[in-house]
Amino acid sequence: MSAMIALCQKEWRISLDTPQGYVVSIAFLLASGFFFGSNLFLSGQAEMRGWFAVLPMLFIFFIPAMTMRLLADELHDGTYELLATMPTRTIDIVLGKYLSLLGHITFLLALTLLYPLTLMLLGNVDMGVVMASYLAAWLLAASFSAICLYASSVTSHAMIAYIVGLILLLVIFLISQLSPTLTPYLQDVVAMIGPMNHYHQMLRGMVSLSDFMLFVCLTVCFLALSWFELERRRWR
Amino acid sequence: MIKAESLCRQYGNQFAVQNLSFEVKRGEVMGLLGPNGAGKSTTMKMLTCFLPPSSGDAMIDGLSLSQSIQVRRLVGYLPEHAPSYHDLDVEAYLQFTGKMHGLSQATRQDKIAEMSRACGLEQVMFRRIEELSKGYRQRVGLAASMLHNPQCLILDEPTTGLDPNQIIEIRHLIRHLGEHKTVLLSSHILPEVEAVCDRMMIIDKGELQALGTSAELSKQAQAGVRLHTQIQGNGSKVLARLKAELPELEVVTESALERGGLQCELYHPDVACALAEKLFHAAVAETSVLLEIRQEQASLEDVFRELTGEKS
Repeated sequence: MSAMIALCQKEWRISLDTPQGYVVSIAFLLASGFFFGSNLFLSGQAEMRGWFAVLPMLFIFFIPAMTMRLLADELHDGTYELLATMPTRTIDIVLGKYLSLLGHITFLLALTLLYPLTLMLLGNVDMGVVMASYLAAWLLAASFSAICLYASSVTSHAMIAYIVGLILLLVIFLISQLSPTLTPYLQDVVAMIGPMNHYHQMLRGMVSLSDFMLFVCLTVCFLALSWFELERRRWR
Repeated sequence: MIKAESLCRQYGNQFAVQNLSFEVKRGEVMGLLGPNGAGKSTTMKMLTCFLPPSSGDAMIDGLSLSQSIQVRRLVGYLPEHAPSYHDLDVEAYLQFTGKMHGLSQATRQDKIAEMSRACGLEQVMFRRIEELSKGYRQRVGLAASMLHNPQCLILDEPTTGLDPNQIIEIRHLIRHLGEHKTVLLSSHILPEVEAVCDRMMIIDKGELQALGTSAELSKQAQAGVRLHTQIQGNGSKVLARLKAELPELEVVTESALERGGLQCELYHPDVACALAEKLFHAAVAETSVLLEIRQEQASLEDVFRELTGEKS
């Protein structure tokens, strides 16, 4: 437990204290600000639906960048050997890394809370919908992070980890986009397990247990896969 | 303290370590010698619970490697090239290592102060590891590996890439640590192992070739006796008399001395043949004088080459 916290603190420190951490954060905030501003000023509407619709695209490009070095660099620099020979379990390593990542993303999303606060000055905002949408965005980001953490565990090169993460997320995104062209049975399957479908459902302001559970399951699955991948390396 | 029992590790079909058994006593400094790719690092990775052995087991202070978490608490490990987090400063890195080992705040402060003093890190405590020289990084790694006060230290090539001064410093440090802890270190620099270690073992192609103190190993490698001698007087008669007594004697080199006499190198395959004494008696019988009589010791380098060289 203490090892998990120590690891989380170390990653948190690196993600705020080093260029590779804050450049990604600043770029994310600039991009998200741009999409929020363009909706607000170009269409002249005091609402956030447009911003929440493009947010997954931002996640798809930025979350792999935040995650890529988390495990891949440890494997590349040989520091994983140090971690694995300390009295820690592999699952603590995975969870410590994941929690720091989740903290980083929560921090960035919390900064964007300025947008609804600004909108409240300009007009009537349905805070219920906005909060449900934030929850949806946070859950989506949490499951995307787990997927990208897995991508970072399969390789010792951060760049490859980025590409693998990006491809996995794009596949998830595109399957939902392409679902109308699929057979009715497959459409049902995609509607049931596609994270994007559940995300859009939650954007309507409706939070159901099934949406919530899907994101949790996805996260747990990919954390387990990362754990499995790290364990497997020792047996190869 | 460390007891390996027929450790094996396979990568695919290839054996990296095969049937390796040895014992390191408490408070001993043991050197692990071998050419590149002999299985030194793999052995160390198994002893530190990083790689599980394919078969066999090792006991560390009576604990089997399968009790991995307890074993890791007892062992301090410095991997090859001393990896560390380049983005952190030395202090933050040592704090992190202490936390990972579950040390309390107060112990952590004490140990960090103690180890930074022992490893000479006080001047660079707040520099990023990235900016440090190779020697300092090595010392940071060493300090981190000892932070939790392990009973047993496993160091994989602790002095590679250091300049001669730093090598001597690290050597002193290891020697000093060896008084209180059990140390297993690997190296392919022979004089270093000779200077630092109480005993050493040589492995090649994953198998143990020899184990003992450097004197024992020298003796083991030396098949037969080799004598250098200078005989003043009738050298050839002395040799002839000696040959009559020891038919297997071989005169390896022979040259005449300027002031009359003979300089030669003698070899006899049997160590117990008392070659030196017989030579003396032969010289007395021929009323010649022995100016020099010197038995050649096989150096550790010879031992190493003999045991690990390509066997023809």
